[in-house]
Amino acid sequence: MLRKNKKILFAAALSFLGLSAAGCGSRNVDGEKTVIELLHYKPEAVSYFEEVEKRFNESHEDIELKITSPNDAMTVLKTRLIREDNPDIIGIGGDFNYANFIDAGILMDISDFDGLNSIRKNYLDINENLEFVPTDGTYGVPYMANAAGILYNRDMFEEYGWQIPKTWDELLSLCEEIQKAGKLPFYMGYKDTWTCLSPWNSAAASLTGATVCKDVNRGATTFTEQYRTLAEQMKTLLQYGPKDFAAYSYNDACTAFARGESAMFMIGSYAVPQIKSVNPDINIDSFVYPASDRAEENILTSGIDLQFCIMQDCPDKEAAYEVLRFFLEDENVQAYMDNQNSIPCKEGTFTLAPMLDGMKECIEEGKVTDFQDHFYPAEMAAEALIQTYLLDGDTDKFLKKFDEAWVRYNRDLIEKVKKYEAEH
Amino acid sequence: MKGNKNRAGMAGQGGKKANRMSLNGKSRTFLLITIPIVALFFLFNTLPLIQGVVYSFTNFRGYGDYEWVGLRNYIDLFRDARVGNSYLFTFKLAVVTTIIVNVLSLLLAMALNSKIKFKNTLRGLYFLPNVLGGLVVGYIFNYFFTYILPELAKMLGFEGNSMLANSKTAWLAIAVVCAWQSIAMNTIIYISGLQTVPEDVYEAGSLDGATGWSKFRNLTFPLIFPFFTINLVLCMKNFLMVFDQIMSLTKGGPAQSTESISYLIYNNGMSGGQFGFQSANAVLFFVLIVIISVAQMTFLGKKEEQL
Amino acid sequence: MMRDKEKSNVGLTVLLIFGLITIAFPLYMAVVIAFKQPSEMTNSIRGILSLPKHFGLDNFREAMRVTDFWRSLGNSLFITLATIALSIVVHSLIGYVLGRSKAKSKFYNVIYLYLVSGMFVPFAILMMPLVKQTARMGLSNMFGVILLYTVFYLPMNTMLYSGYLKNLPLALEEAACVDGASTWRTFWRIIFPNMRPMHATVAILTALGTWNDVMTPLVIMSGDKNTLPLAQLNFQSQFGTNYNLAFASYLLALLPIVLFYIICQKQIIAGVANGAVK
Repeated sequence: MLRKNKKILFAAALSFLGLSAAGCGSRNVDGEKTVIELLHYKPEAVSYFEEVEKRFNESHEDIELKITSPNDAMTVLKTRLIREDNPDIIGIGGDFNYANFIDAGILMDISDFDGLNSIRKNYLDINENLEFVPTDGTYGVPYMANAAGILYNRDMFEEYGWQIPKTWDELLSLCEEIQKAGKLPFYMGYKDTWTCLSPWNSAAASLTGATVCKDVNRGATTFTEQYRTLAEQMKTLLQYGPKDFAAYSYNDACTAFARGESAMFMIGSYAVPQIKSVNPDINIDSFVYPASDRAEENILTSGIDLQFCIMQDCPDKEAAYEVLRFFLEDENVQAYMDNQNSIPCKEGTFTLAPMLDGMKECIEEGKVTDFQDHFYPAEMAAEALIQTYLLDGDTDKFLKKFDEAWVRYNRDLIEKVKKYEAEH
Repeated sequence: MKGNKNRAGMAGQGGKKANRMSLNGKSRTFLLITIPIVALFFLFNTLPLIQGVVYSFTNFRGYGDYEWVGLRNYIDLFRDARVGNSYLFTFKLAVVTTIIVNVLSLLLAMALNSKIKFKNTLRGLYFLPNVLGGLVVGYIFNYFFTYILPELAKMLGFEGNSMLANSKTAWLAIAVVCAWQSIAMNTIIYISGLQTVPEDVYEAGSLDGATGWSKFRNLTFPLIFPFFTINLVLCMKNFLMVFDQIMSLTKGGPAQSTESISYLIYNNGMSGGQFGFQSANAVLFFVLIVIISVAQMTFLGKKEEQL
Repeated sequence: MMRDKEKSNVGLTVLLIFGLITIAFPLYMAVVIAFKQPSEMTNSIRGILSLPKHFGLDNFREAMRVTDFWRSLGNSLFITLATIALSIVVHSLIGYVLGRSKAKSKFYNVIYLYLVSGMFVPFAILMMPLVKQTARMGLSNMFGVILLYTVFYLPMNTMLYSGYLKNLPLALEEAACVDGASTWRTFWRIIFPNMRPMHATVAILTALGTWNDVMTPLVIMSGDKNTLPLAQLNFQSQFGTNYNLAFASYLLALLPIVLFYIICQKQIIAGVANGAVK
């Protein structure tokens, strides 16, 4: 009897092993072809990437490009990093994650990539500026940028004869005028806290510039000094939004704006497809957020929405460069822009989407500054701090809390920066 | 065989059992079953847990290199107001929801177990919320709390603001959604409990003149007490680990008032770069949950014996 | 008393039917939204509750296309069914052993507490080490997910099974034992069939946990194969969610599990009625 039991257990144990054996060793080695895997975080642009993948593979005999567009890509990417199953190229944003990746030493220095010459200087600078402490290398090829400002309902503006505001005062009087006409100036989706960051970033571009966070890290200034005007502007704007502003999500706000419930919407150009899904006929344009009282001081918030980085352990750098060159061909750049209403980081003449008309001047002149939140660590939840402030309205408390939270969540980083400063 | 006889029989036979069994064979078989299963459990639960504990002493981001920071993460835990608030919120939610769920599902179970028409259909329908995923339920109720409830409130003369937009009421909305979904499962467990109560117990009780509350209090409840224990422990544990409902209803807002512990651990540890620190948080959380559950089980176990 | 037994409680029935509104209303919202087009969505009570302009199956067709429905369904079914089968066998065995031994043996009591305490380990702390570990063992696939689920649900199911065992009299096994049957055979012939109601409960609990779970397959399989909940992430990109398609897809994903649920529900009732308990 006992022997029998043993046998059964043994069989059970074997079947477990069998299950695991079936799972491994399935990766195929592809003859002489070099396989380059690109993983990106823009599943909404999957049709574009599929097209590029197809055409690249048709025109290249020695390289096979495999593009992965997972849902929840950052989680997938991080788990793949953990299991040391790195892709060759990653398509990510120019944000805190990127800075962290550089700091962790997992990205390759691609200073010798010839394609970098065709990238606009200001976007390369934006990338340099993101690094926690300056490095000699270049780690990303900026591909597409996005811009945040104020979207407006062009037809409504024409109907009432409203003018695009150039200064903060003009914006306020425009809001008054819109309210008098019985319309709602802004719709806000502040239930999704990240939408609070859109006006915040836009206003910060003109009011504080992009180096605030780094200056704070160096100990040169505090947010209490730098963010007061910004915070108060955010509060002022609440009176021109819906009464229960924290009740509505980003989706609700897009729906409301699409249906003409508000004249303006403080959000980036990325919201246009969602808005148009509700109302395909809406005529949308945008303008730069006029935070300053001097028109010439107002600059556009624009950051890197998609850039390509090569992983440190990519075995065939040349093949990866070849892939990047293909992406940078004018035709492919334009295709991405058409697909996603994006702004190219490459020099040259491209056709911008019509809803970017109002920002064209700034884009072409390079009057752009990076998003403030690209310097905020995700775990600090700055957007939630802003929402909390908007709900209770206490500016002093908020600024104090922001400074405290900053030190709390950036402790290691600040130490690193101080050490660097001392050495240089 | 009748249940009550068994119950009576079990206690009596308990003392004699040992010498009647072919002791050796049985205990060997038991060991042979236990060892591989415990090994598997160790490999895929305890081992990663130990690794997680190791990470809790580092400033690991989840990738790249990291340094040892000693007890810093643990010291920070007790200084971090956000972590403190998440514990307060989570425990408040768990206790209140556990009470709501157990009262309602016990009532519902008794109703569904009594002599009613369409019994099976009604049961089936009441169990339905259980099959929906937590995220989906959250999305549906989002519409309810954002648009329908405020409108209803206005009709009744209230101000009509969304419950989810107010840091004083958002947790209640979450409690309602959690309860709506988990009442079904707890009802099932209570019903299977009620079905183990043999008819003749009631018959005997009725002869003694037990009715209504006293029948429940003195006859039914003691018999389904083990099921009450299971439900209580499971509810507490599930609600302490609440995550999906937070993700789909509030994402921790408004004003960070609904950041549950699991939400914070996942959001800051996985999406953010605080993996080391949040591992420490998870360790603390684990220890707390174990303490609470053991206390619950010991307490209820003692009660069980008394009844 | 006999008459009392036959008469059903009409008042209670009515009350229960009335209470169904709380169940039906949210489901109604889900169905209505699933049939609407994004352009029919408005931010008002009417926009949510009004009937769609026409009841077309377009959303469902599109949702099936986007999620690659049949393949994702197949993967979800495979994972869920395999997990249930493994759980019922493995967990009832260990539940039996511990349920019978923990009261008299310190060793088994410690094992019991050790296993059950696993229920309280937050998944978040296990996640990263597990990702690494499964990758090293070649388990970054559906089999790994099934194995992990079996381990995750072990604590709770062990508790349920060993708790249920209290309802099964020792006399049942003792009789078999006297007849000379081995412990192993006694288990399969007598205990296992008698635990049927608990099998149904365990099957439901396990099925619900695995069917709707996003996190485990997301981090363990990482884009290798899609389950239904993973494929449903498609409806949410960073800057936009199509709730109409998403809800259509949720309803589609609901059908198999509802079916399973109905079957199991009958099992519980039949099992309890016919089992040795009564």
